Amino acid sequence: MNAPSPALVAPRPERLRLVGQRRQILAVMHQRLMFGMLVYAGIVVLIALRILYLAAFGDHAGAKEGLTALVPDRGDIVDRNGDPLARTIDAWTIAIHPNKVIGDKLALAQKLAQLMPELSADQYFALLKSNKPFFYLRRRAAPGLVEAVNAIGEPGLAIEREPDRLYPQTSLAAHVIGFTDIDGHGAAGVERAFDKYLSDPATRGKPLQLSISSPIQQALEHELGTAMTTFSAIGAAGVVMDVHTGEVLAMTSLPTMNPNVAGQGTPDQMFNRATLGVFELGSTFKPFTLAMALDSGVVTGPGQMLNCPDTLPVYGRVIHDTHPFGRQCSIAEAMMESSNIAMGQVADRLGKTRQQAWLKKMGFLDKPEIELREKGRPLTPGSRWGPLETITIGFGQGIAVAPLQLAMGYATLFNGGIYHPPTILKVGPDHPLGPGKRVFTADTSYRMRSLLRLVVMKGTGKKADAPGYRVGGKTGTAQKIINGHYSQTINLTSFAGVFPMDDPRYVIVVMLDEPKATKDTYGFTTAGWNVAPVVSRTISRIAPMLGVAPNMNREPNMSEVLPYIHDASQDTKKD
Amino acid sequence: MSGRSFKSVFMVASCAGAALGCYMVSLRVASERAKLESVETQIVMAQRDIRLLQTEIGTRGRLSQLERWNAGAFALSAPNANQFLGGSFELAKLVAPSHEVDFQAPVVMASAPAPEPKAAPIGEPATDDAGTEAVTTVATEKTELLHQASLKTGTREVPATTTAAIPLRAVQKSTDKPVAAAIPAPKKSADKPGLAAAKPVQKKTADTVIATAKPIAKKPAEIVAKSPPKKSVDKPIAAVAKPMTKPVRIAKADTVASLSAKSAKKPAKDHVSGQ
Repeated sequence: MNAPSPALVAPRPERLRLVGQRRQILAVMHQRLMFGMLVYAGIVVLIALRILYLAAFGDHAGAKEGLTALVPDRGDIVDRNGDPLARTIDAWTIAIHPNKVIGDKLALAQKLAQLMPELSADQYFALLKSNKPFFYLRRRAAPGLVEAVNAIGEPGLAIEREPDRLYPQTSLAAHVIGFTDIDGHGAAGVERAFDKYLSDPATRGKPLQLSISSPIQQALEHELGTAMTTFSAIGAAGVVMDVHTGEVLAMTSLPTMNPNVAGQGTPDQMFNRATLGVFELGSTFKPFTLAMALDSGVVTGPGQMLNCPDTLPVYGRVIHDTHPFGRQCSIAEAMMESSNIAMGQVADRLGKTRQQAWLKKMGFLDKPEIELREKGRPLTPGSRWGPLETITIGFGQGIAVAPLQLAMGYATLFNGGIYHPPTILKVGPDHPLGPGKRVFTADTSYRMRSLLRLVVMKGTGKKADAPGYRVGGKTGTAQKIINGHYSQTINLTSFAGVFPMDDPRYVIVVMLDEPKATKDTYGFTTAGWNVAPVVSRTISRIAPMLGVAPNMNREPNMSEVLPYIHDASQDTKKD
Repeated sequence: MSGRSFKSVFMVASCAGAALGCYMVSLRVASERAKLESVETQIVMAQRDIRLLQTEIGTRGRLSQLERWNAGAFALSAPNANQFLGGSFELAKLVAPSHEVDFQAPVVMASAPAPEPKAAPIGEPATDDAGTEAVTTVATEKTELLHQASLKTGTREVPATTTAAIPLRAVQKSTDKPVAAAIPAPKKSADKPGLAAAKPVQKKTADTVIATAKPIAKKPAEIVAKSPPKKSVDKPIAAVAKPMTKPVRIAKADTVASLSAKSAKKPAKDHVSGQ
């Protein structure tokens, strides 16, 4: 009883300890609680701040993706006037996932066959039963068809919009523009040459401007196509070029293809005859030989006389002329009547070394310097280049170049003698004109004008004349090599023309591969009968567009050459 | 007391109000921004649609298609070289009336009588002789024809006539230098022009008349040029006096004369009215 209760006396030390512990725990708890609260408050504040930030600067729920500028998936290609030649648009694509089809596959196959009759119902059914995960039914589908397919309501059908390359002018300048493969990368032409520019997000917003002019291209293609049909030729090529800048205004190769469905093209259609194909272009080479001779002083002028027999045996071969003189002839006459014998002699006097040096300077021994990748390497005698080859090259046999190179050579010859590499891009601030390099003297360039005008006025190229446009040029009829021999019947005819000849601005080169004779050509298959009229018609059409004013009263100085022409009609009058 | 106790409440309220205000502003900004974005998006979408439509139109109206239509329906062809005109003059030439022979017109003889010499103003020395008068008329016509070949003479003739336009009566009144120089012309250079003109008329053919008439025409002008012009104003008048052929006749009709020669203005008028 006396025992004091522990409560009345001083607490037991363990109890005291207990109190101290509790207080400590309490303090710790407070601390923790405080910490938790702070953390919580911090989070709340953070969230509040974030909300405020979002409210002030963030996107709202309805915001769309930042569409501030229209950048296509692949850059446009436009012509020199800004008209589109290639564009990327969103096209409808119909595809199917056979695994995901839940409806009746047979009924679906029948419906698909009705809508898209390129495959039969059986084929569609076989496709649906196959375990392939995905295949395309139709790319670039018409909206009506898309609607009808969508109405089937099959979840396995996938209808999507995909960027698709479209060539609005279809086959116009197809070989220049080229086409893209299924992945959207360039596979030919400009699409291939400028693939990086067209697909790079930094540059593709700005369209790639070509030097091609659509109306001129169309005129050239149409006239050349008509001639090709008329003369049943197997192919044709044409180039129109600005002589001062080397810009290609039009370049075509026939038969052509449709780059919208490039896969359907045959290899023959895909082949670019204007740049990739190399041909022996024959007499169109003669002006170069003469210019080289004039420049080096081998020939003094159009009045120089040469011995022009009916045939000329040289180094074990006999050279013939289509219009043999059988007398002395002047240089002007030799050019007018396209004499192989006279030009062979000129080339012989010029010599191999000088001929090679000039051809090299003119870029005839290398691939053309154009941006396109489809370029053919010229064929030359190479190590066999001897005196005979020098003579034959003098009149265009034994060297094969692309028609583009021929145009380039004429541009060099008639712009005052300065070589500018041909270009497919429009010359302007983005693509400035280079300085060029001199090949012929300005005087030679000037003297050639009247000589080539003479060919069209009185010589083999009469049918190439377009009244008022002062066309000058040279015909070329080359025999094709069939089984290693020059064929006597199968030709490759070409014409290289320049207009207006009193102040040359444009060059046009036209070529027909294996033209056949017709009633209108009186059985002839020479260039004067089939390609020369193409040049005449094309120039009449394009010259006004190019700003060449027709003038019946202007001509180059013909008094430089006309005195050296032997006029047979006057002989008969005298007699 | 109560104010102090509610101070914190007011503080909270004002803070909340300020925050709310700020929030409203930012909300407003955000919504405006969103509207702008949607407009921009609309623009881009519209551009895309335009591009799509342009592509479609371009594809449907591609050049080869137009060529086909042209071949089938329109049959248009490139203009010929002679369909181009160099300018308005060539255009005007196209509508030139065609020359038609009028058979009803009265017959005009090839040897038409010479036009009646006009009455000379009183006191003019050159017109005393009838023969000289006729010669100078012919000379005038011929030289006018000759002058048409050159563009320069047309402008020069005008001031030339002005110097000569002054009839003697007026000249005597005037004190101006070139005009005064014109008076001694027939006297000083004596009979040179008079002789040269008079002789061939009577003896030689008409051709030589024209040839000799020229020096006459030049003579007064030369004299005028030679006479030392003191005023600078007079100089051009003297210089352009060259092609002057028959002074009095042309001057009568010439209205420009009164404009260019200030001093001669009054007398010239008098003269015309006198006629």
